Amino acid sequence: MQTLLKILLRYSNFLVFIALEVAAFMLISYNSAYPRSSILSTANDVIAWQNAQISAVGEYFGLRSQNEQLAAENTALRNQISSMESAENRAAIHYESAKVVQMTTDQLHNYLTINRGSKDGIRRGQGIRNEDGVVGIVRTVGRNYSVVMPIINTQTNLSCRFVKNDYIGTLQWNGKDCRFAQLADVASHMVVNPGDTIVTSGLSPVFPEGIPVGIVESSVLKEGESYYTIRVRLHTNFKRLKYVEVVQNADQNELEELTNGMD
Amino acid sequence: MEWTKQIGRYILVMVLQVLLFDQLQLWGACHPYIYLLCLLMMPITLPPIADMLIGGIIGLIMDMFCNSLGVHTASCILIMFLRPYLLGVILNDKDRLNEQVSLRSIGMEAFIKYVVILVLIHHLTVFSLAAWSWYHIGFVLLETAVSSVITIFVIIGYNILKYR
Repeated sequence: MQTLLKILLRYSNFLVFIALEVAAFMLISYNSAYPRSSILSTANDVIAWQNAQISAVGEYFGLRSQNEQLAAENTALRNQISSMESAENRAAIHYESAKVVQMTTDQLHNYLTINRGSKDGIRRGQGIRNEDGVVGIVRTVGRNYSVVMPIINTQTNLSCRFVKNDYIGTLQWNGKDCRFAQLADVASHMVVNPGDTIVTSGLSPVFPEGIPVGIVESSVLKEGESYYTIRVRLHTNFKRLKYVEVVQNADQNELEELTNGMD
Repeated sequence: MEWTKQIGRYILVMVLQVLLFDQLQLWGACHPYIYLLCLLMMPITLPPIADMLIGGIIGLIMDMFCNSLGVHTASCILIMFLRPYLLGVILNDKDRLNEQVSLRSIGMEAFIKYVVILVLIHHLTVFSLAAWSWYHIGFVLLETAVSSVITIFVIIGYNILKYR
C-alpha cells in the first residue's frame, strides 16, 4: 500500500497530465457528435455579441454595395412570393432572414455564426441559403445566435441533383478552396459536361428541391474507377457573405419523425 | 504585484488574439496563436498541476472563440506539461527561474530554443487535432510552418522590445 502511494505521488504530475488530456479528448469527441454545446462555442451570447461588434466596424466600408445587394434581394423575394402564392405545395416553407456576425473560410472546419437563435424559431438541422444559393445547415442553437456548418466544411454532405436528368450525387468539400466543392457518387455511365447545373435534391427536409448549388467546372474519370471526380463552382461567394435566409420547413418535424421511425 | 502584471498581460494578449490575429485571413493557412506568449512566459514557481490547469482554462477560452471545443485545451495542457522538463534540458542552472521566463532571465539562445520548440509542438497539435485525418497532412504541415513563424516572431519581438 505504502509503495503504491509512493509511486502515485512520484508520478502525480504525469497522472494528472494524462487525466486532463483524456478530459480534453472527451471534449473533442463530444464536439464532433451532432449536439454541441451552445455555451462553449460562438453561439454563446457574450462571444457572439463581441463578434457582432467586430463585424459592425467593417460594415461601414461596404454600405453602398450592401444597399445594391439588398435592393436586388428584395426584388428576388417579391418574385418568390408571387411564385409561392401560385404554387400551393411550397407554402409550407418559411424564410427567416439573418445576418452573419462571424465566419471563417480558410480552415478545414469552417463555421459561421448568425444573429438568430431559438427565440426566433431556429432549430438545429434547418437549412441556410442566400439569394445566390445554398450556404449550410444550422448546427448549434443558442438563445440569440446560432452556429452554422457551411458546405465549405469537410464534414458536410449535401444531397444534390443534376438539373438536366435528375441524377443524384453527394456534395462534399476537400478543404482547399472555398469557391469550389466536389460532387461524389456520380457513376461512370453518366455523361457529365462542364457547365451542367447542380441544385439541391429535396430528398432531405433540410432544403426544398431546386435551390441553386453550383455548376460543374470540370469532371475527370480516372482509369479503372467507377465514379467521377467532379469539381463544382459554387454559386455562393463565402468570402462576401453578409445576409442569409434560414429555411424553415413546417413539415420538417413530421418528416424527421417518419425517417427516424424507419430505423 | 508580479501576478497582477501577469493577469493584465493575459487580458491584453487574449484581446489582441481575438480582435486582431483571429481576423487575419492571410494566404489561407496563417492562423498564429500569439496567446501562447502568456503561457510560455509564466514563472515556474507554481506547482506543475496548477500550470496545466491554467493552460487548460486558457485553451478552453480560445476554443470557445474558434468553435473547436477541446483542441486548444489539449494542446495547451501538453505544452504546460512539457515546459518544466524542456527548461531543465535547455538550462544548466535552474536558479534563475524565480522570475518569469523571458529573454532577460534565461538568455537569448536558450529563450529562442524554448519558444521555437514549444510553439511548433503546440501549433502542430492544434492543426492536426482540428484536421483529424491523414488526408490533410500536407495542409496541416504548411499551416503549422506559416503560423509558427508569425507566432515565434511576435513572442521574440515582444521580448526584444521589452526586456533587452
